[in-house]
Amino acid sequence: MKNRCEEIEPVEQELEMTADEEKLLDELGIFGESRRKFLGHASAAGLAAVAFQLLAEQKALAFSEVEALQPTGLLENPLKVGFKVNGAARSLEIDSRMTLLDTLRERLGLTGSKKGCDHGQCGACTVIVDGERALSCLMLAAQCEGRDVTTIEGLAKGSELHPMQASFVKHDGFQCGFCTPGQICSAVAMMQEAKSGELSYVTENVRSAARAVTLSDDEIRERMSGNLCRCGAYPNIVAAIREVHTGKATDHMAITEMTMEESNAAV
Amino acid sequence: MTTKIIGEAISRIEGYLKVTGTANFSTDFPIKNVAHGYILKSTIAAGKITEIETDAASISPGVVGVITYKNAFKLTGGGNLRGGGILQEPTVDFYGQHIAVVVAETYEQARHAARLIKVTYNKAEAKTDFEKSSAEATVPRSQGRADAIRGDVTAALQGAEHKIDVHYTTPIEHHQPMEPHSTIAVWEGGNLTLYNASQIVGAVQNALAGTFGLKPENVRVVTPHVGGGFGSKGGAWGNVVLAAMAAKMLDRPVKLALTRQNMFDSVGLRQQNKQRLQIAAAADGKITALAHDTITHTATTGEFIEPCGFLSGFMYESPNARITYRVAPMNVIIPTFCRAPGESTGSFALESAIDEMAYQLKMDPVEFRIKNEPAKDPSNGRPFSSRATTAALRKGAEMIGWSKRNQEPRQNRKGDYLVGYGTAIGAYPARQSPTSARVKLMRKGNDVNAVIELAASDLGTGTYTIIAQTAGETLGLPISAIDVKIGDSTLPPAAGSVGSIGAASFCNAVSEACQQAKIELQAKSDVKWVKAPTVAELMDAAKLNDFETRVDAKPPANASQYSSHSFNANFSEVWVNESTGMIKVPRHVAVTGAGKIMNAKTARSQIYGGCIWGIGMALTEESILDPRWGNFVTRSFAEYHIPVNLDVGRIDVAFIPEEDFVVNKLGIKGIGEVGIVGVAASIANAVFNATGKRVRDLPITPDKLL
Amino acid sequence: MRPFKFTRAGQPTAAIQSVTGDAAARYVAGGTNIVDLMKEGVENPTELVDISRLALTQIRSTSSGLSVGAMARNTVTANHPLVRRDYPLLTQAILAGASQQIRNMATNGGNLLQRTRCTYFYDISMPCNKRSPGSGCGAMEGVNRIHAIFGWSDKCVAVHPSDMCVALAALDAVVNIEGAGRKTRAVPFTDFIRLPGDTPEKDNLLEHGELITSIDIPKNNFAANSYYLKVRDRASYAFALVSVAAALDMSGGNIKQARIALGGVAHKPWRAIEAEKYLQGKAATEANFKAAAEAEMKAARTLKHNEFKPELARRAMVHALQRAMKSRSA
Repeated sequence: MKNRCEEIEPVEQELEMTADEEKLLDELGIFGESRRKFLGHASAAGLAAVAFQLLAEQKALAFSEVEALQPTGLLENPLKVGFKVNGAARSLEIDSRMTLLDTLRERLGLTGSKKGCDHGQCGACTVIVDGERALSCLMLAAQCEGRDVTTIEGLAKGSELHPMQASFVKHDGFQCGFCTPGQICSAVAMMQEAKSGELSYVTENVRSAARAVTLSDDEIRERMSGNLCRCGAYPNIVAAIREVHTGKATDHMAITEMTMEESNAAV
Repeated sequence: MTTKIIGEAISRIEGYLKVTGTANFSTDFPIKNVAHGYILKSTIAAGKITEIETDAASISPGVVGVITYKNAFKLTGGGNLRGGGILQEPTVDFYGQHIAVVVAETYEQARHAARLIKVTYNKAEAKTDFEKSSAEATVPRSQGRADAIRGDVTAALQGAEHKIDVHYTTPIEHHQPMEPHSTIAVWEGGNLTLYNASQIVGAVQNALAGTFGLKPENVRVVTPHVGGGFGSKGGAWGNVVLAAMAAKMLDRPVKLALTRQNMFDSVGLRQQNKQRLQIAAAADGKITALAHDTITHTATTGEFIEPCGFLSGFMYESPNARITYRVAPMNVIIPTFCRAPGESTGSFALESAIDEMAYQLKMDPVEFRIKNEPAKDPSNGRPFSSRATTAALRKGAEMIGWSKRNQEPRQNRKGDYLVGYGTAIGAYPARQSPTSARVKLMRKGNDVNAVIELAASDLGTGTYTIIAQTAGETLGLPISAIDVKIGDSTLPPAAGSVGSIGAASFCNAVSEACQQAKIELQAKSDVKWVKAPTVAELMDAAKLNDFETRVDAKPPANASQYSSHSFNANFSEVWVNESTGMIKVPRHVAVTGAGKIMNAKTARSQIYGGCIWGIGMALTEESILDPRWGNFVTRSFAEYHIPVNLDVGRIDVAFIPEEDFVVNKLGIKGIGEVGIVGVAASIANAVFNATGKRVRDLPITPDKLL
Repeated sequence: MRPFKFTRAGQPTAAIQSVTGDAAARYVAGGTNIVDLMKEGVENPTELVDISRLALTQIRSTSSGLSVGAMARNTVTANHPLVRRDYPLLTQAILAGASQQIRNMATNGGNLLQRTRCTYFYDISMPCNKRSPGSGCGAMEGVNRIHAIFGWSDKCVAVHPSDMCVALAALDAVVNIEGAGRKTRAVPFTDFIRLPGDTPEKDNLLEHGELITSIDIPKNNFAANSYYLKVRDRASYAFALVSVAAALDMSGGNIKQARIALGGVAHKPWRAIEAEKYLQGKAATEANFKAAAEAEMKAARTLKHNEFKPELARRAMVHALQRAMKSRSA
C-alpha cells in the first residue's frame, strides 16, 4: 500500500524571512535543517522563543545515530531486521523481545513516539505502518521486516509542517504534548480511511458501498477514541482535524452538537 | 511600543516542538551509556519482607544491578518526599510498594529479570477496606482540618421548614497523566542531574538534595516539558530517588520510567470520600443552616486530607454552618493533591445537595443559588476581592438555553433519550507565590532580543507562551524577540505549576523583571525622555548592547486581607439512553471569572481540560481496591476509564471580564483548577433532571441508572 | 517477558509443525493480545512463530456463504464489500471493538483467541485458575462487576472479551482448523469457545499447535434487520458490560427466525437460544422482545457485584432488537 502521508498536499508555503530574522538565526548559529525547521515554525510562534529549545535539543541530539544504532550489551535471541523508517532504509540487530516502539526510541533515536501505557490502551505510540495507523507498543520489531514505518518525525517535509501538524498548532490540539505525536499520526492516517470510505461504529448505514466520506464531528470523535488525551484537548483535536479534513477554516466554537442519528448509533 | 500581546489568542510558542515530536520529555533525552531500570513491587499491603532472593535476577543476561533494602544506598533521611518506597527498610506499608529495582543494559532485560526475584513476606493485618476503616475515622492531626463551626446547625435544622440530610460518595481516582513519571539520573562526581518530569522544579531539586545529603546547587533538575501532572508531579516521589540511587550505586546513568500499572500505587491518588450534607432553608429560599461532614482515609505513612468542605465555607450565606473532617489510616499509597483537591469532590456533594434543596423548595436552582450569594466571605468575614458567581450563572444560563429546562424531571425526551439540564458553581483560591525572574536584553542596532529565565514549568498550561506574552508587552517587543527559558533548576527559583499559582506567580515576576530592566536602563543615562522610550532607545542611551537584571517578586502584602478566588458556573446538557443507561454530555457550558486572562486560546484549553476531568469524575473514573489484598483491580487504562474523545461533546467556554488588582499586580487569578470544580455536580444534577434518579455515588455508570 | 526465539513461517504446515513440536511455542499474528500478555507475564512462550504473512487473507463468497481468512485483518474484514452488504452485523461488531489502530493490526483468527480481561487473570500476583490452574479464582469472591452471569463454574467466572465473536456466534459461523499432518476439522463457532467447567485454562477447543485457517459464515437473510449494541462504561474503546448481536429474518411483520447472542455475560459469546425460540413466528413487537429477553434471563446467576447485569442484558436485548428492526437496506 502506498504511504498515505505522501498523498496529502502540504499547504504551507515556505515563509519569507526578514533580514533581522536571518541575522538572528545566524547569530544563534542555526543553519541547515534547523533553520528550515525554523521557517516552518515561524508562522506559528515566536522565533527566538523556539531557538533556545532547538539549540538545546540539537545539542543533546549531537549524540550520533551511529551510536544510537549500536546495541548495548549482550543481546539474547538476536535477530536482524530491516525496514523503512521515514523513507530511509534501516537495518539493525535486535533482541526478539523489542517492540517497534522501543526500537524507534532506544535504538533509532526517534523519541517522538511515546510510551504512554505500553499495553495498547492509550494510543500515544501510534505510528503509520504501510499506510495504516498501528500501535508500535504491541508490534514486535521482528515483525516489521520490509515494512514502511512513518513516525511523527517523518511527517513534516523539511521546513513545511504537515497540514495536520500546522492545524494542531493553530487549534491548540494539545496541552502537555505527550499524546500529540500519536494523535497526529492517527489523524493523518484517518484522512485516508475517510477517503477510502472506511466505516466506524457510529456510521449510520454500514451496508452502503464504500465511497469517500466527509466525517461528522462524531465520526472524528469515535475514530480518534483510540488516542487518549488526559489534558482534555479533545474539542481542539476535533477542530484541528475537521479543518484539515474539510479544507475549510474552522471556528473553535463551531463544534456542532451531536446529531440524533449519530448519537443513536453510538449507544 | 504599546502593542497588546497579553490576552491574545497566540498559539503556543513550543507548539512546533510538540507537533514534530522534538519536544524532549524526561526519557527522550539521549544520554550515553544509559542503563534501564525496572521496579518490582510488593504483593502484600502490610508486613515485612523476610526473604528476597535476587541471585537469579542478578545473573540474568544484561543485568548490571539489583537493588533491594539489603544493599540499597543508605539515605540520610529527610528530603520532604511526597511518598513511595525508597528501599531503606524491609517494611511494607501498602500493596505495590517499591521493593526492588533491577537495572540492565536494556529495558527488556530489566523487566524480565525483575520477574525472577522471589520474595517471602511476614504479613501483618492490613487496613484495606474503606467501609471498615471509615467507621473508625477520627479527628485529623492537620490544623487546617479542624472543626469549623458557626452558630448552631443542629438547632437550625430541627426547626427548619425545609431540610435535607444526604450522603455522597466519591471513589479513589488516579491522576494518570499521559506521561508516566520518569527520570534519567546522571551523576558527575558529587553532582546529580535529573531529567525528570516535575511540576515544581525547585521542590524536586530540594527533595533529592535532602535525601542524598547534598547541597541544592549540586542537584540539577531539567524538565523543559512535563507530560501532564495534575498534582501527581508536584514533588518528588520514591521513583525519582530510586533512579538517582541506582545511578549512584552503578556509576552510570539510569533511566527509570514507571509503567502505567505502577502509576496506580507509586505516585499518590485522590482519596475516597464519604460526605454528609445537611441543609436547612426557609420557605423563601434562604439557607439557614449548612453542614458538610467529610469522612475520608489517608495512608498509614502520613496524613493528607483534601479539603472537601472548603467551598461550603463561603459559597453560600448561612447563619449556621459546620464543616468537619474525620480520617482513617489505610494501607494505600499516600493520597495527594489532585486537580482541585477537595473543591472538585467537595463541590460534587455541596452542589448536588444545593440542587436537591432547590428541588424540594420548587425553586429554579440558578435563582436559589443567586438568592444565597454572600456579600462577604462567611467563613472569615473578609471581603471578596472579586466574585463572578451571579454573572457567571446568568451568562451560562443564557448560553445553554436554560429556559429549555423543566423543573420536573423526565419531561424532556428525544428518541431513545431522556434529556436533562443541570448547573453547579465552584471556586478555587487565587494566590501568588514568591518567584524570581531574570531578563537578559541583547541589542543589535534597533532590534532588541530578550531572554526570560526562571525555573518555572509547563505541563501543558501554556507557561512558555504567557511568559513570552508578558515580557513582549512589558518590554514593547514582538513575541518573536522573546526567548523563554524554563524547566531548569539552575534558573532563578520559581513557584510551581500547582494550585493555580503558576500564571500569577510567573507572569507577575516576569512583568516586574521587565519593568525593573527599563527602570535600571533609564537610570544609566541622563537622557530626559519626552515620550516613553523603547527598550532599544534605552539601551542606546545607556550605551549598552547587553544588559540583564533579576527581581524576586512577592505577593502583594495586603492580599491576605481579602478572600480571593476564581469563581465559575457550569451548565450541562445530558442525554440518558433509557434502555442502556449510557450517558452522553452533548453540551457543557463553563463560565469563569478568573481575573485577567493571559491567552484566550490556552485559557480556553485549560477550562476544556477541567471540564473533561469533570466528565471523567462524573461518569467514568473509579479506582477499586480488593480489600482482601489491598491491590487495585483497576490497574490499567483498560479498567480505569479516563474519558475518550467520543465521551466529550461540545464545550462552550466564556470568561467574565474582571479587573482584580487586589490578588496581584497583573490581576491574574488562575484557571487550572477551577475548571473542574462543579462539573461533576452539574452533570449529576442534569442526570437527575433527565431521569428523576439522584445518583449520589460517583461515577454514574450505566448500571446505576437501570 | 522471557527471552524467546522468533521465527517467521512461510507456510501453514511449517508453522503448525514448529508450534506442535514445542509445548512452549506460540503463534503471533497481529500481536495485539499476545504481546500484551507476554509483557504482563501471563503468557511466557520460549518461541514465537510469526504467522502474520501466511496467505490466509481471503474474504470471498462461497456456494454456502462467506469464507473469511484467519489472517485477514479486522479492519479489512469489517470494511469488505461482501461483509458490509451481506453481514453488516459482523461489520458493526468488529467496529465496536478496540480502536482503529488495534483493528488494523488484529487478525480474525487472533480475535477468536483473545483471552479474558478479568483483572485477576491479567495480574500475575493474583490467584487465577485460568492462568495458573489450581491457584483459585480471585474474582469469585472478589471484585466481579464485569464477570459472568451465564455458564460459569466454581473455578472461573471470567467473560470472553471479543465483540466480533458475539456476531459470529449469532451468525452460526464455523471455524476451520488445521493441525499437524494436514489434518483439518471444522467446528461450529458456538462450540469453539468453551464454558469454563473444571478446566478454565482451556478457552477453546484448539489443541496445541492447531491453527485456525478460516471462518465460514453461512448465507442468511439477516442483513436487512440486524444490529450490534454495546453497553460500556465509556462511549468508546472499552470492553462491554453487556453487548447484543441481534438479527431477524422477517416475513411480513413476523419473525421467521431470530439470532441473538450476548457478549460480556459468559466465558463464551452467549447464544440466546431461549429468546430465539420464543421469537420464532411471532410479531416483532416490544412486548414479544421483552418476553423473549425474560425467557433468556431465567438461567442467569449473578455474583456480588454484577447483580445489575440480567436487567441490563434484558434491556439491551430489547433495544438491540428494536434497532435491528430499524436497520437500513444496502
